[in-house]
Parts: sequence; C-alpha cells; structure tokens
Amino acid sequence: MKMKMADGNSAVLRRNRPGTKAEDWCNWSDEAFEEMDSTLAVQQFIQQAIRKDFTNIEEILTPPEGVEEGVWKYEHLRQFCMELNGLCVKLQTECHPEQCSQMTATEQWIFLCAAHKTPKECPAIDYTRHTLDGAACLLNSNKYFPSRVCIKESSVNKLGSVCRRVYRIFSHAYFHHRTLFDEYENETYLCRRFTKFVTKYNLMSKDNLIVPILEDQNAIDGESEA
Amino acid sequence: MNDGEGPGSQHAGQLGPVSGAMGMMTKQQADDVGQRPQYSMPGILHFLQTEWARFEMERSQWEVERAELQARIAFLQGERKGQENLKQDLVRRIKMLEFALKQERAKYHKLKYGTELNQEDLKPPSLEKKEEDAVDGEVMPSAGNVSWRQGRHLLRQYLQEIGYTDTIIDVRSARVRSLLGLQAHAAESEAEGAQPAIVQMNGEVPSKRAGDQGKASDEDDGLAGEEESEVKHVKKRPKMQNVDNIAMMEDDTETEEALAEFDFLVEEAENGAGEAQSHGDGPEWVQNEKEEWDVDQRLIDRLKDQYKKERKGMKSRPKRSALQQMLANLGSDDDVFSSQSSSYQGGAASSPQRAANSSGSGLSGSDSDESGLQGGSSIAFPSDSRKQIIGTDPDDESFGEELGELADLTVNNEADQNNYDISSPKEAYRKTWNAKYTLRSHFDGVRSLAFHPVDPVLITASEDHTLKLWNLQKTVPAKKATSLDVEPVYTFRAHIGPVLCLAVNSTGEQCFSGGQDSTIRCWNIPSSNIDPYDSFDQNVLNCTLEGHTNAVWGLSVHSSKMQLLSCSADGTVRLWSPGQKPPLLQSYTAEEDDGAPTSVDFVRCDPSQMVASYSSSNTYIYDIETGKQVLCINTKSASEDGGNNQINCVVNHPTLPVTITAHEDRNIRFFDNTTGKLIHSMVAHLNAVSSLAVDPNGLYLLSGSHDCSIRLWNLDSKTCVQEITAHRKKFEESIHDVAFHPSKPYIASAGADALAKVFV
Repeated sequence: MKMKMADGNSAVLRRNRPGTKAEDWCNWSDEAFEEMDSTLAVQQFIQQAIRKDFTNIEEILTPPEGVEEGVWKYEHLRQFCMELNGLCVKLQTECHPEQCSQMTATEQWIFLCAAHKTPKECPAIDYTRHTLDGAACLLNSNKYFPSRVCIKESSVNKLGSVCRRVYRIFSHAYFHHRTLFDEYENETYLCRRFTKFVTKYNLMSKDNLIVPILEDQNAIDGESEA
Repeated sequence: MNDGEGPGSQHAGQLGPVSGAMGMMTKQQADDVGQRPQYSMPGILHFLQTEWARFEMERSQWEVERAELQARIAFLQGERKGQENLKQDLVRRIKMLEFALKQERAKYHKLKYGTELNQEDLKPPSLEKKEEDAVDGEVMPSAGNVSWRQGRHLLRQYLQEIGYTDTIIDVRSARVRSLLGLQAHAAESEAEGAQPAIVQMNGEVPSKRAGDQGKASDEDDGLAGEEESEVKHVKKRPKMQNVDNIAMMEDDTETEEALAEFDFLVEEAENGAGEAQSHGDGPEWVQNEKEEWDVDQRLIDRLKDQYKKERKGMKSRPKRSALQQMLANLGSDDDVFSSQSSSYQGGAASSPQRAANSSGSGLSGSDSDESGLQGGSSIAFPSDSRKQIIGTDPDDESFGEELGELADLTVNNEADQNNYDISSPKEAYRKTWNAKYTLRSHFDGVRSLAFHPVDPVLITASEDHTLKLWNLQKTVPAKKATSLDVEPVYTFRAHIGPVLCLAVNSTGEQCFSGGQDSTIRCWNIPSSNIDPYDSFDQNVLNCTLEGHTNAVWGLSVHSSKMQLLSCSADGTVRLWSPGQKPPLLQSYTAEEDDGAPTSVDFVRCDPSQMVASYSSSNTYIYDIETGKQVLCINTKSASEDGGNNQINCVVNHPTLPVTITAHEDRNIRFFDNTTGKLIHSMVAHLNAVSSLAVDPNGLYLLSGSHDCSIRLWNLDSKTCVQEITAHRKKFEESIHDVAFHPSKPYIASAGADALAKVFV
C-alpha cells in the first residue's frame, strides 16, 4: 500500500502506512546514502543493509563515505540493542529465575547487574532485561549522547562498556539456552555480526569474546550434515 | 550505569576462584593438619565477610559524602545565582534611574523652553536598557511614570526602525550645533553640550521678549558698552534665569550637580560669544544673532511641530479606527478566541484610558505582548487582543504593521508560517502548548502512544518491538529547564516485530498492543512507581490474542465494556473480548477493493456501532452486533483524487455524531454519522495527515502529519489554533501518532525519530 512510482527515486514514498502487510514492510527500493537527507540517515542506511541481506555482515559493517566513526559505532550499537530484544523475548519464555538464578556464562564468572545503585546479583532474565533497558537509557540519554549526528569524544568510551555487558547476554544464551541461541542466530546472524563489530572497532578485549564463532558455524554445519 | 560493576564483578569473580583456591588449600591442609592451624574455612569466610562489610560501609560513607557535597554545590550555586540576580536588578535600577533623570531633565527643558531637541540625544544611552526590558517581559516596572517614559522610548524605537526620526534627529542636532558654534563642547557630552546651548538660546529669547525685566544682579561688572552690557546682561540673565528657574523647578542634588555642569558650559559659551562679540559689530552681531535665532527658532518650531505631530500620530484615533476596520474585515470568527484570551482582555482592559500613566501601563502590557508576539506561537492572540490593544495602545502605528502580518495568518489554513517558537514565554492569558517532556528511550520510531486515563502516565509503542511505560513525574534531572527528559519505568517485551498500535482501557489497568507479528497482547499495566530495574514479572503479559493473519494496525477499546476492536492488513476487523474464552467475538470483512482497514474506532454516541476506514479511502459504519455495514460514508467521493487517497486515521467525536478522517491527500474531513455526508473538508498540512486525536471535551482536534508538525484545531471554527514543529524525519515519515490526556492538560506526539514529546 505504498506509493511506488516507476519514475525515479524522488517519487518513491518510503512510508509504511497503516494497512501495510507484514511482508510489504519497508518494501521500497534502496536509497543511496548520499541521497538520504534526514538526520537519521545512518540508521536508515544500516537498516536498509540488514533488510537487504542480513548474512552479509561485511557489507552491513562497512560505513559509507563521510560517516564519522563515532556515529557509525553508535548507530550500530543502537541497532544491536534493538535486535537483541528478539533474543530477550525468546529467553523470557525459557530462562526462569529458578533455573538461572545468576547471570553466568561459563562457571568462572558471575556477572553483577550494573543497573542498580549497588551492583546486584540479578537472575539471568533480570540481568538481560535490565542491561537492555539500561543500554537504552544510556544510549538515549541527553547527557552523553545529545545528538545523533555528532558523538562526543568522552561518550565514545561508554560504548565499550555497553558492548561488554550486552555481550554477556549472548554468552549466557549460548551456554545455557543453546537451542534458543541457535534459532535466533540463524534468523539474524546477530552474534556473529556483533563479534565482528566489536573486533573491528576494538570495543572489547578479545578475552571476553567467549562465544565461539567459528565453532558455531561448524556446529551448525555438522548438525545439518548429521 | 555506574562503574561499581567493574570492581564488583572482579570482586565477585575473585570470590569464585579465591574461595576455590582456598578450598583447595584447606583440603591440602586437611592432610597435614597440624601445620597451619590458623586457617580454617569459617575463619576465611569470616574474614571475607568482614572485608566485604567494611567495603560496603566505606562505599556508603562515600555516597553520603558525595551527596553532601552535591547538596553543598547546589546550595552554593543557588546562592550565586541569587547574588547575580540581585546584582542585575541593582544595575537595572541604576539604569532606570539614570534614564528617568534624563527624561525628567528633558521634560523640564521642554516645558520650560518649548523644544525637545534634547530628547533624541537621550535615546542612545538608554536604548540597550530599553531593549533589555523589552525582551524579558517580566521586568516591566509597575511605576506609571517610568514605564510611560519607557513606553515612549519604545515608541521612538519603533519609529527609528521605520527610519522616520533618524533624519530629524540628525538635522536638528546638526543645526543646533552649527548655529551655536558649540562644536568644541560636543566632545564632552552631546546631551550636555546641546543643553546649555539650548538653554542659552532659549534663555536668550524669553529674555529679549521680556524686555527690560528687572535685571538680576550680575556677577561680572564693568561692562562698558550698553549694548555689550545689554547683551552680556542678556546673556547673563538667561544664566541667572536658568539658575533661578532650575532652582525653582527642582531641588534634586543630582540636578544641581548637573546644572553646575551647565554653568561651566554656559560660561564657556559666554566667553565664546563674548569673543565673537568683540570681533564683530555689537548691535549687528546681536541683530544677526537675533535673526539667526529667529530663523532657527522657526525652524525648530517647525521641526518640533513635526515631531509632535508624528508623536501624536501614533496616538491618533484615525489610525486606531483604521486598525479596527482591519479587524472587522478579518471576520467574526475571531470572536471564538475571546474565550481563550479572556484573562488577557481583563489585563488589557485595565488600562483603557489614555492618561499618561495608564497608557504607560497599557504600553507596558503591550511591551510584554511584543515580546510575546516575537516568540508567539498562537494565531489566536492577535485577533482578540488586537481589539483591546487598539483601545489602549498609543503606538498603534508600528504595532499595526506587525499586526498586519499576523492578520494574514488567521485567515488561511495554509501551513506557510512554520516559524513558531515552541518555547515562547508562558503568558497566563494565552493558552499555548509548550514542549515540556521528551521521552527518549526507544531505538526506532514510536508508532503509537496512549495516556493513562487518570495519572500523568503514558505508554508508547515502537518499531523496536517494545512498549514502554513512562511516568511524567519521574524526570531525569537536567540542567536546562525548558524540556525535561523522562526515562521509562517499564518495558514490555513480547512482540516479535514492530508494535504498531496501542490502546489503554478506561480504568487504566490494562493496555493492548497490536504488532506486525499479527498478535494482540493484553498487558496488565504495572504501577507507575515501580523500580525500573525490578525483577521480571511474568504476569504483566496477561494474554495474547491471536487470530489475525497479518500486521495489526489499529486498536480501539470500548469506553465501558471490556471490548476491543482491531483492524489488520489481512483485511478484517475483529472484535474481541479479552478475558472471555474464546476471546474473538466477531470478525468483519469488507469488500476486496476496499483494501485493508487502516483504522477503527467505536462510535461514541452509539455504542453499538463502530467505524472503520480503509486504504481505499472509504469509511464504513458497522453495526457491532450484526456485523453489517450500516452506512457508507462517502469519503471516497469527497476526496479529490479517489485514486490513492488512503485514510490514515479515523476518530469519532466524543459527543457529536461526527466522524473525522485524516487523509493522505493532506486533508481532514468531517462527516455526519447519521447521513454520511461531508460536513467540512480542509487542507490541514503540507504533507499527509497521519493521525488525529479529539480532546475529551470535544472542543479541540489534534492532527499530526508527516510534514513534522502537529496542529491544534478549534472544532467550532475549524481553524488552526496552534502549530508545533516537532520530530525529525526518518525516511518519509515523521509523526505517527498524537494523543490527548483524558483528564489532564497534556498532549503528546509520537515521532519516527524514536522520541515522544509531551506538551503542556
């Protein structure tokens, strides 16, 4: 139900009007980054790339010309937090405080939830929810990120800590709710993309990246073979 | 997030391995028991616990200290601010007093000698102060005289803007200076320089006319020539007269000091004149001077008359009547606004007379209006207040010019004037909505929002798959007070895919959301005072209504019954009763070529009916029980090009049997529910109208559009009362939803830029 004229990009109305079918969502032609004239151009570009092909991680993570690295990282982190919601919804069904009373990945570490005044040992599902909510507050806060087109130098450090906490959601899901993790990963390639993202921009130390990525692919291949 | 988590996690991390290590050690020691008797498990645990307790205590101490210091900082800042304000006030008062003094002097001279050449020279020093006062309207002094002078000063300012008095000023001051040869003194101070010259000159004239008045005793004796002595006497007399008069007029020490300056200058002038006199022929010189004086006097009189006329012109009744005519032409529908600005009328009507003082306060009232006008965001303001202003305001002329522009605004419904300042100064008699809260937390566009029926609480639904609950009383402490940020209290997660619509039931306990995943979720709204970081409660999600096969775009909840209407891109409109089993009560399908239903609403006047609008730009009223179409509202035929004119939103008026539709062709249309006929149609925005909301009293309509503006309409007159520019565009969308609070004066808008804004 969108207006799609055959003549040129200028007449394409990129709007999801009420009554649009789910399969038609954002079903418009791609727009070149240079032609996007909104302040949210970077987000539009990233979402467009993901819609085009979510498996093509390289392309999604390649910034177009003229985009500041800080803004690029910020918008990607926003997109990751948004997509992690899906994983959280899946976890909500399976991850109960009785079974997962602490946020752990491997046996070595217990993660405390930083969203409280004093770090608290939240059950895993609470940790996940609080971390995502806290990330939303931080990434949207006027104090650290007042503008979406220019990121302050001092706030770029915050991105690293958000990445670290958010990664734990992946690791918990991988080690404790493997089926859910695989399901979601196949739908979105999210963990792979995230790992690639933090490695590319050095937002986390390598020791923290405990979800094996290559193993993932092999495991999935192995399963499909078997 | 605080950084306590870092050390905390390390600490906790160490708990594991350290205790493990210790455990291993003790196992080892269990073998050689006697070797290290002081280590034991309880001892270790005790040690660790005490350490931890100590850390906690220290941490709480630090928190307390930090809080104390912050309080101290806040207190000191407040104090400093108070001191600064005090200082500013005092400075302002000083300037006012100076200005008043100058005015007083000018007035005296004008009264005494009939010219006001001093006035213009007085303008420059006090201009900045005047502008200052014009800008922050609340500093209007209530004292009548001072404000009147300031008002006149503002007047002159306007005239200066027009460029009228500039030449007059220049001409006059230049003439004065050139005639009197007092250029040398001009350096000291123009005002003072001109004044003694004028004083002298003016003194000259009356003294000549007065003829042989009793010559006051002079200070210098021994004037040989009679003419000389006459001239000198004459020259002296004005000085004496000056002094006498001045002394008689005012006893201020300040004036005396000022006059002491005059004496100095007058003597100098005398000397100068004396020299000139000695050069030239006495009588001739006197004669010439006299002539020159006369000429000058005539010219001055002429200029003075001109100036007076121009001043009067501002107060002239003809101009006022012209403006009144203008008002009358604008039409009678301005009367509607009288209800809004009634309190303003009271304020303006309090100074109806044209007496100096009251015109001053009228002016000061208008001054604040001016400042309000400059930042004004209401079209209502000029029409009604104009009527009042004309009765009181002396500076109609310049005001009329500004009003002239505004006059055009009320007539059109066009959206050309986008330059309304959202953060205009709040004035009690003008009801404008100003942005108060900004709700930031969503990652993607906010598609829908709804207020709680009673509390200052609202819920937003977004394309980032979540809904969030916000409490407007819990704002983030921010430095600037213009717009407060709010953080969400709760996040509802269950949808897979963008959440497209939202409805809150009339008790405020439950809310319903529909998403692209074709499910409708019923939520129990948690209390708005919970901790945002509380444990996950599975029971917040009450139930899921499944039945639609495609994205659910519209939801509407019945005001009294527990019934829910939903419309979806699969072409059906369904009626649910959540809580019952089975929840689906009815399903209504329309014709194929109607497209998909885009929006639904219950008919408020008739609870057994509901209205649904379609992407084909048709609207139908259905009977709920039978599921049959009762009426087809001719929206399609009413629209200009029936081609692709989708209706984005349909709402029903709470009391009248009127349906209002928002169209993609930028129009808003009103239809009668009983006949189905078009009542009114208006071009409302520059781009498609995306959403509508009617206020609970049925007086106003809010419309949001993809041209980034929301507009408030008066339903009686169908004119735009206010326009607010809000939200930025993402792709081609900007504002998705608007809403009124059912009981409090809040309006809210949901934008594609992931923000929701609340206005008060």
